[in-house]
Amino acid sequence: MKRIGASLMLLLVLCAVPALSAEKRWVVSDGTALKAEQSISAASIADLAVGAELTLVEAAGRWLKVQTADGKEGWVYAGRVSDTAPVAEVAGGDGLFGDSMQKSQINTAKADSARSIRGLSPEVAQYAKQRGTPEGLKKELDKILLRKVTDREVKAFLKEGEIGEYAH
Amino acid sequence: MKRVYLSFLLVIICLMSSEANAGWQDRLNNLLVPDSKERKILSGATQVMSSSQEMSYATERTVGESLALESMQRFGKPVNNEALQKYVNLVGNSVARNSRRSTIPYQFVVLESQVQNAFAAPGGVIFISRALLGILENEAELAAVLAHEIGHVAEKHALKSIRRAQFLQGVGTISAATMKGSEGKKFESMIGDLQATLFDKGLDKGMEFEADLAALETAYRTGYDPSAMIGVLQKLKKLQGADAKKGSWFSTHPPLDERISRLSSNMDKYPDHGALAKLPGRFAKYVKATK
Repeated sequence: MKRIGASLMLLLVLCAVPALSAEKRWVVSDGTALKAEQSISAASIADLAVGAELTLVEAAGRWLKVQTADGKEGWVYAGRVSDTAPVAEVAGGDGLFGDSMQKSQINTAKADSARSIRGLSPEVAQYAKQRGTPEGLKKELDKILLRKVTDREVKAFLKEGEIGEYAH
Repeated sequence: MKRVYLSFLLVIICLMSSEANAGWQDRLNNLLVPDSKERKILSGATQVMSSSQEMSYATERTVGESLALESMQRFGKPVNNEALQKYVNLVGNSVARNSRRSTIPYQFVVLESQVQNAFAAPGGVIFISRALLGILENEAELAAVLAHEIGHVAEKHALKSIRRAQFLQGVGTISAATMKGSEGKKFESMIGDLQATLFDKGLDKGMEFEADLAALETAYRTGYDPSAMIGVLQKLKKLQGADAKKGSWFSTHPPLDERISRLSSNMDKYPDHGALAKLPGRFAKYVKATK
């Protein structure tokens, strides 16, 4: 690690130029929209993918004015972004090093399609068979995996509780 | 030597991949900033290089669901109350969507167990016992406990704890067909390791503190009062002397005093927390009614 650090430092010294880095934020929450005003009921300008990088323009309490990479400006609820990038997903292939560089952006999108609802997988069914898991427990797991909570239900739930963006 | 070579290669790749981008020098500068995206990408890349591979989400999910079967064997079946299970899933999914790992599916399960406990299987199946649920007072406290467990899933704490398992030293993937053979044996042994870690030994202390802080952050982002996490730990502390059952949050987690003081010292990040949602009424409607 020390050596990696040293070689990088050398490179930085060679390449460094004074750079003003604007404050960045990353979209962390699923289902985030860029809003025209500081309100959940304002019109949506764009849908923001998890992992998208934003530049902070102005902070006003729990709402932030931001600019997207393609230059769109609008408001996001502060709870939906973070000053650190979200966890990257490994979406298959079990790749060695190959997909690590940009996996945050690419693979969170791929992992999203994994949110489809399904019951017990063939692998887990085989595991249960080998372990002699009682049939009743397999059915319970199946039921757990089939229990569905939609984005719409979550929004209605937050709204009913006046939570976060829905607080008055 | 290998590492020097790899780091050099990495730097070249960084340069080449961003050559077309006018901001490449800024990106390099950002490597110096501890929380910068560039630094994170670099640390991710070096981690991938130092371990042989990372597990795919599909395999992580298989691990988690297999562990879920063992968890129910050990602690009890899910509580037979669909309205309660749905409510806990709504609270859990509300916070999960604002966690650092928001795009995977999460399921939350209340188990018929008298041990005050909550735990997370890799990939997003999260359990809370009826006994732990029973000592909570409001929705913000439930959100905080679930957000703590989501923190473990997001940071892959359980998998990191068993990285020496033979299965992870090998191909690290499993299918229904390979489950039948020697890979399946290694897989079963790894599920055993996971049970020992989660239910007997407990995760590393640092991981628990990390999940506690993630709970504050995730609850706050969603709009719940994050101080509820401290409230939960204080309730557990009161019970600790009288009712410390094996496998509970007392026996597998770091000392409660230490957790409470660490969390308290982080609360100044959330000056407006008192005004955020607690929702004792809605919580009572679903939870207290079933006691």
